[in-house]
Amino acid sequence: MPQVVIVGDRDSGRTTFLGLLYVAQVQSGSDRADRFRFHSTFESMEEITVLFQRLMSGGFPDSATKEGIREMRVHLGYRGRGRGVLSRLRSRAWSPDSVATFRFILSRTLDDEVSGFLHGSSVANGRLSDILEGDAMAILVDSTKLGVNGEEPPEGAIERYDVAVEAFLTAIQRWRARGGRSRVYPVFVLTKFDGIRPEVLRAAKVDDSPPQADRTAERAKYGEALLGRNLPKTFKKLAPGEKGGLEFARPTYFFSWVRTEAASSGRPGKIRLRRTASFGWEPDYSKEEYVALLEHLWGVGTRTPR
Amino acid sequence: MPCALLGDRASGKTTFLGLLYSAQVKYGTGVQDDFRFHAPLQSLNVMSAVYEGMKDGRFPSATLKEEITELGFIFGYLRKVVGKLPYYIRKQNWARPFSTLRFSAYDVSGEDIEEFIESGIASRPLIQQLLKSVVVVVLVDCSKMTTEIDTPAYKKMLRYDSTVAKLLVSFQTYKKQEYERLKESGVKPEPPVIYPAFVLSKFDNLRDDVLARLGLHQGFPQDKKARREYAEALLRVFVPQTLSQIRGGKVAGVNMDKAEYFLSWVRTETQEGMDPVGQPRIVRTGFRPEGGGEPDFAYDEYVHFIEHFRHIAHKIPDEILEAEKFQAEAAVRTA
Repeated sequence: MPQVVIVGDRDSGRTTFLGLLYVAQVQSGSDRADRFRFHSTFESMEEITVLFQRLMSGGFPDSATKEGIREMRVHLGYRGRGRGVLSRLRSRAWSPDSVATFRFILSRTLDDEVSGFLHGSSVANGRLSDILEGDAMAILVDSTKLGVNGEEPPEGAIERYDVAVEAFLTAIQRWRARGGRSRVYPVFVLTKFDGIRPEVLRAAKVDDSPPQADRTAERAKYGEALLGRNLPKTFKKLAPGEKGGLEFARPTYFFSWVRTEAASSGRPGKIRLRRTASFGWEPDYSKEEYVALLEHLWGVGTRTPR
Repeated sequence: MPCALLGDRASGKTTFLGLLYSAQVKYGTGVQDDFRFHAPLQSLNVMSAVYEGMKDGRFPSATLKEEITELGFIFGYLRKVVGKLPYYIRKQNWARPFSTLRFSAYDVSGEDIEEFIESGIASRPLIQQLLKSVVVVVLVDCSKMTTEIDTPAYKKMLRYDSTVAKLLVSFQTYKKQEYERLKESGVKPEPPVIYPAFVLSKFDNLRDDVLARLGLHQGFPQDKKARREYAEALLRVFVPQTLSQIRGGKVAGVNMDKAEYFLSWVRTETQEGMDPVGQPRIVRTGFRPEGGGEPDFAYDEYVHFIEHFRHIAHKIPDEILEAEKFQAEAAVRTA
């Protein structure tokens, strides 16, 4: 089962990201087109449904929800797609080849666990080995913390995060030197993208909004322009080259935002809800990005040896 | 074949069962005689009390919890081929003239079910029996359907959606585990199938503005495809997780694609368009040659519901029949 490890700094929106990924699945999996289907496993339902209810009521995940949720396991399938020619020909069919099963793992203590491993501690914790065995990594970057070239980044947060991610990649490299999967798919998710500072966009010489999801080369340029200078160590690590049998695929980029209603005195900020095409409600979020991300991950899943 | 009924608190489970019983009595005493039903004594006592109350214009006050933990009927459908045989052959037991379906409503909590799947240990034997169900009937209370997000009804529906989605995943997981277990033991089982049936209960309480917003007309269509589209338009908005997990069964290896949709309503007395004070009373039909003094309810939908199970009863996988036979023999031995 391919594993997608979600890493992110404190308050980068990891739990919200996982919740919105589930919201996108529920909505795409119940729409009229019936082109996409997903199934959440029994082990994941308790926590993920609580998170779903919270987001659909306009609330961000509270500390209890964050504490409770560790992972989500799902089967994802697209109608008429698969590895064989026959499954592509049967455009109306749901062939077993069209289904990929994923385990999304929320990483919590990137710094502590990884640095322990890098300083020689043995991996007694099964969770850390799961994280190091990930087939894909969703690296969440809080867009509001991105700095402009030459400017001291706000509180140095992004610099510290760069060091932590680099250490994580080094840990993966060392872990995989013992054998295991040889290819890792990095996926950068720029969270809170609606809050990115205009001067960051100007300095990177990019438009306000990213190119469409299907224009992968343009998106890669856009993403690299924004992140390259903020996460230099991470990008150096991901660059092609000999890494002891480990290969990082070319990173992909997705952009996440969720509109909020301003917090009033004594009341925390709320997620703004909007009408869906079917006249229900959903969080006002970058749905297309999440749908594109699911499709990308499904592709990774079908390419990963079972 | 076992069949389970899932419904939220106050979603109208007992009323649904009372109306189903009422429809069974009427339909089972028709001239055609191709549908029969039987109820165990305990269930019959409860249902006849509910039925009597309804004939007296009262909604049932007793919930399943207060009565018994399982309330069941056995539906019998005359097999097509047998129906064409001469009467004296048809009445022989060896001809197995009727396909049967055991319809049961259980009073068990979702937590008990989840605990059983996690640990393999059932706190009550009923849970395993429930999970063997091939037909899962889900009641969706239309009176709770609202598009106003800051209302308790909206939040209730969100919670209910999560509960049903979790239960459906529990059923799917159990079926998949059983399938794998049988395969490992050398048996070649049929791929697991669950037949979901959605009953849109209290349909007469569905607000017009909700229908208007969704672009739906007031009457429920007759055509099968149109019924599905109509019902799914409601489920998509109010129980999207449930709908997505029903569809998702296919990618998890437990086909739930044969979902059917029904509605339920029972007419209540109003005084010149005003809401009644206290518990509403059921309107009863006048006396006619085919019967009378019955609750005025969606009888045709209930007949449709009963008939839907005819097709399923004829399609029961062999291993389920075998398991039921074995269970019945074991029960006789224990007695």
